[in-house]
Amino acid sequence: MSRFFARSDSESEESSSDDEITDKAPGATFKQSLLLSDDEEDTKRVVRSAKDKRFEELTNLIKTIRNAMKIRDMSKCLEEFEQLCRAFLKSKNIVDKEGIPPFYIRLLADLEDYLNQLWEDKEGKKKMNKNNAKALSTLRQKIRKYNRDFESEIAAYKENPQESADEEEEEKEPEDSGSSSDSEGEVSSKSFLKKKPEAPSEATKFLKTAKGSGDESSSSDEDDDDGDWSPSDTGSSSETSDKEEENALKRKRLVTFLKVQRAQDTEKPGVRKEERKKKPKQKEQIEEEAEEEGGWEKVNRGVPLVKEKPKMFAKGTEINTAVVVKKLNEILQARGKKGTDRAAQIELFHALAAIAAENNLGQGILVKIKFNIIASLYDYNPNLAAFMKPDMWKKCLDCIDELLDILFEHNNIFIGENIAEDSENLAVSDQPFRVRGCILTLVERMDEEFTKIMQNTDPHSQEYVDNLKDEGRVCGIVDRLLTYLENKGSTEEICRVYLRRIMHTYYKFDYKAHRRSLGLQGETKSEQDQEESKEESKEESKEESKGESEGEDSAVIMDRLCKFIYAKDRTDRIRTCAILCHIYHHALHSRWYQARDLMLMSHLQDNIQHADPPVQILYNRTMVQLGICAFRQGMIKDAHNALLDIQSSGRAKELLGQGLLMRNMQERNAEQEKIEKRRQVPFHMHINLELLECVYLVSAMLLEIPYMAAHEFDARRRMISKQFHHQLRVGERQPLLGPPESMREHVVAASKAMKMGDWRTCHSFIINEKMNSKVWDLFPEAQRVREMLVRKIQEESLRTYLFTYSSVYDSISMATLSEMFELEMPTVHSIISKMIINEELMASLDQPTQTVVMHRTEPTSLQNMALQLAEKLGNLVENNERVFDLKQGVYGGYFNRDQKGGYQQKQSYQRDQKSYQQKQSGYQRGGYRNQNQGNY
Amino acid sequence: MASRKESTSVSSTAMASTGGTLDSPVKQIQIEGLVVLKIIKHYQEEGQGSEVVQGVLLGLVVDDRLEITNCFPFPQHTEDDADFDEVQYQMEMMRSLRHVNIDHLHVGWYQSTYYGSFVSRALLDSQFSYQHAIEESVVLIYDPIKTAQGSLSLKAYRLTPKLMEICKEKDFTPEGLKKANIGFEQMFEEVPIVIKNSHLINVLMWELEDKSTVADKHELLNLSSSNHLEKSLQLLMDRVDDMSQDIVKYNTYSRNLSKQQQQKHQYLQRRQQENAQRQSRGEPPLPEEDISKLFKPPQPPPRMDTLLIAGQINNYCQNVKEFTSQNLGKLFMAEALQGHN
Repeated sequence: MSRFFARSDSESEESSSDDEITDKAPGATFKQSLLLSDDEEDTKRVVRSAKDKRFEELTNLIKTIRNAMKIRDMSKCLEEFEQLCRAFLKSKNIVDKEGIPPFYIRLLADLEDYLNQLWEDKEGKKKMNKNNAKALSTLRQKIRKYNRDFESEIAAYKENPQESADEEEEEKEPEDSGSSSDSEGEVSSKSFLKKKPEAPSEATKFLKTAKGSGDESSSSDEDDDDGDWSPSDTGSSSETSDKEEENALKRKRLVTFLKVQRAQDTEKPGVRKEERKKKPKQKEQIEEEAEEEGGWEKVNRGVPLVKEKPKMFAKGTEINTAVVVKKLNEILQARGKKGTDRAAQIELFHALAAIAAENNLGQGILVKIKFNIIASLYDYNPNLAAFMKPDMWKKCLDCIDELLDILFEHNNIFIGENIAEDSENLAVSDQPFRVRGCILTLVERMDEEFTKIMQNTDPHSQEYVDNLKDEGRVCGIVDRLLTYLENKGSTEEICRVYLRRIMHTYYKFDYKAHRRSLGLQGETKSEQDQEESKEESKEESKEESKGESEGEDSAVIMDRLCKFIYAKDRTDRIRTCAILCHIYHHALHSRWYQARDLMLMSHLQDNIQHADPPVQILYNRTMVQLGICAFRQGMIKDAHNALLDIQSSGRAKELLGQGLLMRNMQERNAEQEKIEKRRQVPFHMHINLELLECVYLVSAMLLEIPYMAAHEFDARRRMISKQFHHQLRVGERQPLLGPPESMREHVVAASKAMKMGDWRTCHSFIINEKMNSKVWDLFPEAQRVREMLVRKIQEESLRTYLFTYSSVYDSISMATLSEMFELEMPTVHSIISKMIINEELMASLDQPTQTVVMHRTEPTSLQNMALQLAEKLGNLVENNERVFDLKQGVYGGYFNRDQKGGYQQKQSYQRDQKSYQQKQSGYQRGGYRNQNQGNY
Repeated sequence: MASRKESTSVSSTAMASTGGTLDSPVKQIQIEGLVVLKIIKHYQEEGQGSEVVQGVLLGLVVDDRLEITNCFPFPQHTEDDADFDEVQYQMEMMRSLRHVNIDHLHVGWYQSTYYGSFVSRALLDSQFSYQHAIEESVVLIYDPIKTAQGSLSLKAYRLTPKLMEICKEKDFTPEGLKKANIGFEQMFEEVPIVIKNSHLINVLMWELEDKSTVADKHELLNLSSSNHLEKSLQLLMDRVDDMSQDIVKYNTYSRNLSKQQQQKHQYLQRRQQENAQRQSRGEPPLPEEDISKLFKPPQPPPRMDTLLIAGQINNYCQNVKEFTSQNLGKLFMAEALQGHN
């Protein structure tokens, strides 16, 4: 019991005595410890903070030692003691100046007593484990040796331990009421623990003092003490809100500052008495000590700088730039430290900004404070993955807006990252202000935060739409920054902000321009697809808010910005991104040739794999958009080629950054998943995956079906699209074929119809209600796309029909064909001519009768078989020759045939084969003619 | 009938391999008409499509002539009677035949074929075991499809003594085959067949021929035969594929082998150098290690299958050749007829 008592007592002193023990002069202590509001103190404070730090270190160590003592953990004790000695040695110069801190002496004495006691206790020693026993003996020897240096002090302490404790208590008393305090601190911290551990400790302290001092000066101390000792009181005080506290602080504190001081001076003896009385009470509270200790740690860990600092300036202080800057720096120092309350910090900054504004300190300082506010807003979330809360986000937007306002209003403010701290000019208004800080970085960060918010919002909720409304503001800010930097920024900065602007523009369909162009043609239709309707409204709102580029097409803007970047940018990444966005924008607005040329000229396809993942995702998006654009233009082959890479992998979702695929944890751990999540593209920028797949499958169908029909007997025919074949196979595997439901089933059904040359059925499968709502309506010019599609289906069906059934016709009239496929005669004529020229169709056109005369030279199945056999034999010979080549190496010219000869032979063999084919067809043709003649 | 006899013997001499029958105990095979009919009947009743029927030949050897006087079929295998004992059945069958005073000496076996695909490992193995046990045994191959087209196709084969040697040693490695110097031509020898009927039957045949009209023989002149050719080509192609694969396998093997030999050579050279150095320094030479352990030779691919495939391909080719030449003849005939009309 006595041990506990002594400990708790001393501890309370130690922790709080940081300030006062060091400077012995009581008067000075009062002032300093009370409020530290004066500027002069701030200068001293720096010195003292070093001291504080040292002593805090010591007290912390002492505390751990005492803990270890309590649980009889000797090895821990020894370890800590050694550290303590080292720490003490480090603070040697301070100790020299200030004298040995009593708490240190007390620990030494206690420790020695404790050790001796343990040493005597033979029973206990036996129970100890080996390590502990060893540590005990070492520690005992050490402390004996060590204590020799402090013999006199220890003796003095031992002589009158209570006295010395009291003395300190008494010294500390005034401070009690002022800043963080010993016994009071204990209790209050305990109450913190009970209520909200996060509550700013300083706040309560201030509040308490404010309250206490707000009362009559004579009773103030008693009040104070009551508050200290009764938890309920402190609790209630700490419960009061921050605002109240602030107000109280601002007003009362400044007013009563001096009074309190005086009152405390007079009341000192009385306080001491009371303090003595309270001692027994403290004993009763032993049960709570564990808790108290926890509380202690909380308080101690907090950065003392901020805590002890009053928030605002003392009354009467002349508030000038220097003071504010100093304050700002103080607040800043706590930034990023453990235990700093970030919310409170933001509040502090705001208050500071208000004061600065109130006192007309000029725009320079305001800008600086704003910078810091925004930075600390960003800092609010310690985790990179977490996103801002809505209110924070609003605040952030407001702040940046205000900052930009200031910057626009005052032309004489220079900001930049590279302005050194000491070369800043915040005060002198006749010279241009110079402020350190980079608005561009802040805006970029803001943009990223916006992306993060969008990523973390459920895209199907109203919340998402609400958040999306902020996009207009974000764009507005980016635009304002753009105009600002165009005047002031360096090329590099302009490039960066241009890229931001581009990033916000490229994926939006410019409905105004679209409608304008339609309007020119005298058409008025408002085709809006579901996905982009959102964007459109947003776009409009943005444009309205913007006003500036109202008349300008997004195409023009994109062109201007991108070209600037192409010309001026020196970092490869920005240019790459700009090019990709430019292509995307072109593709989105169906400017296929520009998009394609830009893609080809940039040579991005060659080296995109070296880019970082976000750029690769952008590249994938661009390629997909390009493919879809090609499809709309009716360039089926180009569309297919552009989409092939993305679609064939089966990971389109992942490659476009539109979601994670389910994979087992082996391939991806939690960390990777987080990274991948961060790369996701927000929902409003997504490309519809079903649309993508449908476009791909339909283009594959239009290519593959005629090809399959043409190469029916070819043994080595290649698949154009694996995925399409896969879908076909899946379709075939169905045991019972009902009417198609999904998009894929529709395409498969259509393919089957097309295989038979039945374009009407094919058409009805591709274009119908379901497919319209699922896919085709998503295009901005849906009707045009549908028309194109019908036409393509007719043409390709005609080709397929000719391939498949040419063998059963001797001749077929083109008029019939044009009727069958509802194509105009010239089209039919051109398609058939093309097929004949490409030697796909063995036929000739009979001009006068407008008929196609089949030559019947397609090989019969037996001939096909023979051809295949010839091919296989070719392979066999080739393989055989390889064996010979090998033998030749071993046996050296056994066959007297060199490599070259063999190769040439092979070549000639192939030639033979070809000529054989030609001969064969010639023969066939001849046979046909002969037959004809025979018939006539 | 005589013409038919001739044609079979002609076609048999067409096989290049027939020359080498000097040391063989059987130089000629004489088959009773009854046996031929029984075989044909057996296939017609039990074999369909690509299914194969088999049976036992009975007869005796007279000088260098094997006379096959009777036969009996093997029952078709089905999965239900897996415990069916073939040997038991065979012995019992022979015993029963002996009771009714029929030749009961086992002189070989017969098998039907599908488009001439019979050169297989199974045939080789069983013929080997037959020939191993009964030296004069032969295998008769009956081609029902060709027979259906109008000409009886029945051929007798025996393994060459060379192949017997190899099979005895079971050495099918490339080296072994090279040493035996055997090609696909020298694997099987065809024995000429003579079909012998009693005079009474011969007389009946003449009479029947005399009575039959020309129209009955139209089948011989059938021109639409591409289906048959296609099938043959298909089978030929499959074999060619197999062959290519085998060659590729062999190629890799020999490449690996030579690579390893090079390594071995290098290793030995290094060893030698080192030893020479050591000797000059007066140190004892390194102990000899087992090189074959260090360099395990790659597993040589068995070459017998390749040989068989080659034989089979040859067989198909003969078939196709025969077939096409016949058809060409028919075509010319048709043309001449048309011209005449």
